Amino acid sequence: MMRFIKNGLIDQINIMVHLFPQWLTDLPVFIVKITADLLTLLPATNVTLLLAITSLFFGLILAMFLTTLELSKIKVIARLTTFIITLIRGIPEILIVIGVYNAIPIFFNLLYDGFYLNLGIVKWWIQSDFSIDISPFFCGVIALSLLYAAYASQTLRGAIKAVPVGQVEAAKALCLSKTTTFFKIVFPQMWRYAIPGLANQWLILLKDTALVSLITVNDLMYQVRNTAIRTDSPFTWFLLAALIYLIITFISQGIIKLLNYRVTRFDKLGA
Amino acid sequence: MKDNLFTILQGVPTSCSITIAALFFAFILAMLLTLILTLKIPVLSLFTKFFITIFTGTPLLIQIFIIYYGPGQFKTILIHYPFIWSLFSQPLFCIILALTLNSAAYSTLLFHGMVKAIPNDQWQACYALGMNKIQSVMIILPYALKRAISAYSNEVILIFKATSLASMITIMDIMGYTQRLFEGSYDFTVYLLAGAIYFIINSLLTYMMRRFERRMLAFELRTN
Repeated sequence: MMRFIKNGLIDQINIMVHLFPQWLTDLPVFIVKITADLLTLLPATNVTLLLAITSLFFGLILAMFLTTLELSKIKVIARLTTFIITLIRGIPEILIVIGVYNAIPIFFNLLYDGFYLNLGIVKWWIQSDFSIDISPFFCGVIALSLLYAAYASQTLRGAIKAVPVGQVEAAKALCLSKTTTFFKIVFPQMWRYAIPGLANQWLILLKDTALVSLITVNDLMYQVRNTAIRTDSPFTWFLLAALIYLIITFISQGIIKLLNYRVTRFDKLGA
Repeated sequence: MKDNLFTILQGVPTSCSITIAALFFAFILAMLLTLILTLKIPVLSLFTKFFITIFTGTPLLIQIFIIYYGPGQFKTILIHYPFIWSLFSQPLFCIILALTLNSAAYSTLLFHGMVKAIPNDQWQACYALGMNKIQSVMIILPYALKRAISAYSNEVILIFKATSLASMITIMDIMGYTQRLFEGSYDFTVYLLAGAIYFIINSLLTYMMRRFERRMLAFELRTN
């Protein structure tokens, strides 16, 4: 009797195990694995955001510098700056990113080893006594801020010119100095013309950060690519990355809307 | 230096043909989508907006990777459809498809914006002449397109620049040859050469588009 029950029980368990489909028994393992993979996306997204924000910061400073040069009274400097900006805009982003990453170490090595600069009449021996090791992340920041600055400087120039001339003339009539006029009158007013353009370029910058994965920065795209190769499910993982980029874009758009509302709040008061 | 230049120049036809093919298909698709948005066709316009959000909100690199590497995940199913399978295993097809969809999304935004910017009087004039909605669109759309050329030339440049991503999926375009040369020699001047080539072609494209625009908008200049 006992044996019969025992056998029957084992049979029943066997039957139950066979009743369970394969995927149900694999499910816990699958969940643990996928959670571990998903968790790696968090720091990777952080790297992407950090990269974008750092590039935005340096890019804006560089853009202001370029705008100042472009608006300078000396024609040669203005022309040269315009040419450099056009040049950067005419070269693919990926070429700039990869070029900066590959060229900078070689260039600094060359400097460290020293070389003759042959200028026809004079020959200079150029050598630096320091060697710099630049991380891929910083190379990415250099490339992206260059790109951002090239586009943003055009926006800033347009914004400065969009501030009505009457404002500057009024400041002049009040005997304000040129510096004061710029920083107290023009500078605060130009943002409402600049914000829409700058915001648009921020969205472009955000998408360009994906290119930095090609120079081994461990950002969202790089992480996703590794996971996609390892788990052999590229469609799912790339789609997930696209979704994360989309979410970041949506959040950015929300912030831009608030910012836009803030810089144009005086218009609404008047109306 | 000279050898390097000639090696890189081999990639120019590939880059240019990808650009032309992508722009051609993207333009047709963008026209269709603009029509859908302008005529406010119920379900389709919702789909169009979704399409635009997806393709303008994500990096192009991811779009290319999804189209090129994505189908590999469904190999067991797709293997039964040899035509589709062989199509998606060609990198050239994938890059053109990705660029077409991407460019169509951006162009649709641009064209639709231009159509919205056309003064309402023009629509009213069309209705006053007894035209129905589709007939009016046929009048308004060409006008809007001509106005959109200057903005569209930006899109042309962007697409030409984006073809450099083709090198990421094993296509030997300008960027592909440049990368190969660099890996062989560690000579960073190849990047300067490639940059110069891209810049010259882009300048030419800008110049051509500007002339084209002037010709298309000649009727506006005459009235002034």
